[in-house]
Amino acid sequence: MSFDTFMFVLTSGVLLGGLYALLATGLAVVWTTLQVFNFAHGTFVALGAYIAWQVAQTTTGALGYLFATAISMIAMFGIGFALHFILIKPFEKTNNVVLLAVITTLAGATIIENAILLGWGPRDKQITPPITGVIEVFGANINLFDLVILGVSLLALAALAVFLKISRIGRSMRAVAQNREAAELMGLNVSMLFAVTLGLAAAAAALAGIFVGSLRFMAPTFGNDPLMKALVVVILGGVARFSSPIYAAFVVGIAEAFSTFFLGLYWTPAVLFAMMIAVLLVKPEGLFGHRSKTL
Amino acid sequence: MTKPLLELKNLWGGYPPIPVFRDVSLTLQTGETVGLFGPNGHGKTTLLRTIAGLQDPWDGGVYFEGQRLNEEGAMRARTSAHVNYDLFRRRRIRAVDAVKAGLIYVMQGNLLFPEMTVEEVLAIAPVAAQGRPGVAEMRARLDDLFPRLAERKTSKIRYLSGGERQMVSIAVGLLAMPRLLMLDEPTLGLSPKLRRELSVAVHKIRETGVPLIVVDQNLEFLTSLVDRLILFDHGAITHELPAAEMPDHATLMRMMFGEGAA
Repeated sequence: MSFDTFMFVLTSGVLLGGLYALLATGLAVVWTTLQVFNFAHGTFVALGAYIAWQVAQTTTGALGYLFATAISMIAMFGIGFALHFILIKPFEKTNNVVLLAVITTLAGATIIENAILLGWGPRDKQITPPITGVIEVFGANINLFDLVILGVSLLALAALAVFLKISRIGRSMRAVAQNREAAELMGLNVSMLFAVTLGLAAAAAALAGIFVGSLRFMAPTFGNDPLMKALVVVILGGVARFSSPIYAAFVVGIAEAFSTFFLGLYWTPAVLFAMMIAVLLVKPEGLFGHRSKTL
Repeated sequence: MTKPLLELKNLWGGYPPIPVFRDVSLTLQTGETVGLFGPNGHGKTTLLRTIAGLQDPWDGGVYFEGQRLNEEGAMRARTSAHVNYDLFRRRRIRAVDAVKAGLIYVMQGNLLFPEMTVEEVLAIAPVAAQGRPGVAEMRARLDDLFPRLAERKTSKIRYLSGGERQMVSIAVGLLAMPRLLMLDEPTLGLSPKLRRELSVAVHKIRETGVPLIVVDQNLEFLTSLVDRLILFDHGAITHELPAAEMPDHATLMRMMFGEGAA
C-alpha cells in the first residue's frame, strides 16, 4: 500500500467520520434526553437532502447552496419539533413508551420515506457541490469540498456543544435529560424541550444528508445506511459525554474506509457489526463511556 | 375571610392499585408553617408528590389560593379489560402550572442534575419565576443562607455531599420565588453539623415569611420551627397539634402508637 493510497483511504475515512459524528450526535442527544430511540433519524437525512435539492433547483452557485442548506435545516428543525408531538408525546403516559416509540418512529420513517418517493420520484438525484478543486496535503490530493464538509461538520458539532453548555435552553435540555422529575419541579416545560431536542437532531441530520447528497447520489431510502452506521457509532462510543459518539464516529469512519479498501464493500458492514458486538461484550457502556447516561 | 393558601379536600392518591393516603383534608393559611410527622412509608412523600404534580391524584381536590389545580372527579376504575380510560385523561396536576403558581416542592434526597455545575443549575432555576420581582434579591440572599454553595459554584452536582446537594435543592426552590415551599425531609441522612447548618437556613427562610410545609423525622427541629404539627399515620391525618401543644418525644410516641410505646 503506497503512501498516496494510504492518505486517500485515511482522508475518506476521516470525512466519513465527520458525517457519522453529525448523525450519531443527533441520535445520541435524542436518546439521552427523550430516552427513546429515534428510528426516523435516517429519513431526516433523506428528507433534509431532498428539501435542499428542491431549493437548490431555483438557485445557483455557492450562495445558493448555502441558502438551500439553511432553508433545509430550518425546515427540518420544524419537522422534528412537530414530530415529537405526533410520534412520541401521545404515548408518554404509558409505561412501555420505549417500545411504543420504536414502532411510532419506524412508522414515521416509513411515511416520510414514501412521501419522498411520491413527491420526488425514485430517480437518483444529486445536489451540485458548490466547491470543486483539489489541494495537496503531505503529498496526497484532497478534494477541497471534502475538507469543507469536515470543517463545517465539526463546527456544527462545536456550536451544538456550546449551545448546550451556555444557553438557557441548552442548559434546560441537559437538565431534563439528567433528571426529568427535578426539571419538572423547576418549572421547565419538558415536552417543549423534548421537541427542541428532536428538532435540533433533525437539523443536524439534514446537514449530514445534504453533504451526503452532494458527494453521492440520493434516493428516497438513502438515509437507512447512515442510520445504521450512526447506531453502530452510538453503541461503540457510548453516550456518557457529548464527545463520546464523536470520537467513535471517527473510529468507525476510518475503520470503514480501510475495511472497504482491504476487504471490499460487502464485508464492511460485517466488520463494523463485529466491532460493535466486541465492544458490547467487553465494555457495554461504550469505548468512551462510563455507566451514567447523560449529556 | 381570605382564601386559604393551600386546601386539600378529601384527597386520595397512591401507586395503583394500592392507595397510599386516603381522604386527606388540610387547610393552610398564608404565613403559616406546618410540619408533617409520621413513620416512614406512611404516605407523607406521596402526598407531597401528588400536590406537586409528579403523581396522579385519585380523588378529591387540590386548591391553591382558591384555584383548583387538579381535574375534578374520581379516577375511574378500569371498566374494560382492553381500554384504560385514564390513559386519555390528564389527572395529574401540571407540574409547570403548580410551579408557576408558586407551589414549590423540594424533593426528598433530590439528586438534581448530576453532570451540571452548581452555577449552571442556579442559572436556570428562576425559569418559573420569570416576570415576578425579587429574583435578584433572592439570589443575593442565597449567599447568606448557604455560604457553602458559593465555594462550590463550579463543582458538578455529583461531587457534592448530601447536605450540599440538599442546599442546592432548596436554593433552586427559593429561586422559583415560592408562595409555598414544601420541604421533604431536608435533614435526611445528614451529619449533625450539616443538619444544624440546614436547620438554621430553614429557620431563616421561615423568618422571611415564606409559608412552609416541612416533613422531617427530627422532632426537635420540627417543633421549634412550625406553627402546627400534623401527625400522619397509615396514610391519614390522625392529629393536628397547634404550637402550644407541641409534644415531646415520649408523648408523641404514646399518641401515635398507644400506651407503653415510648
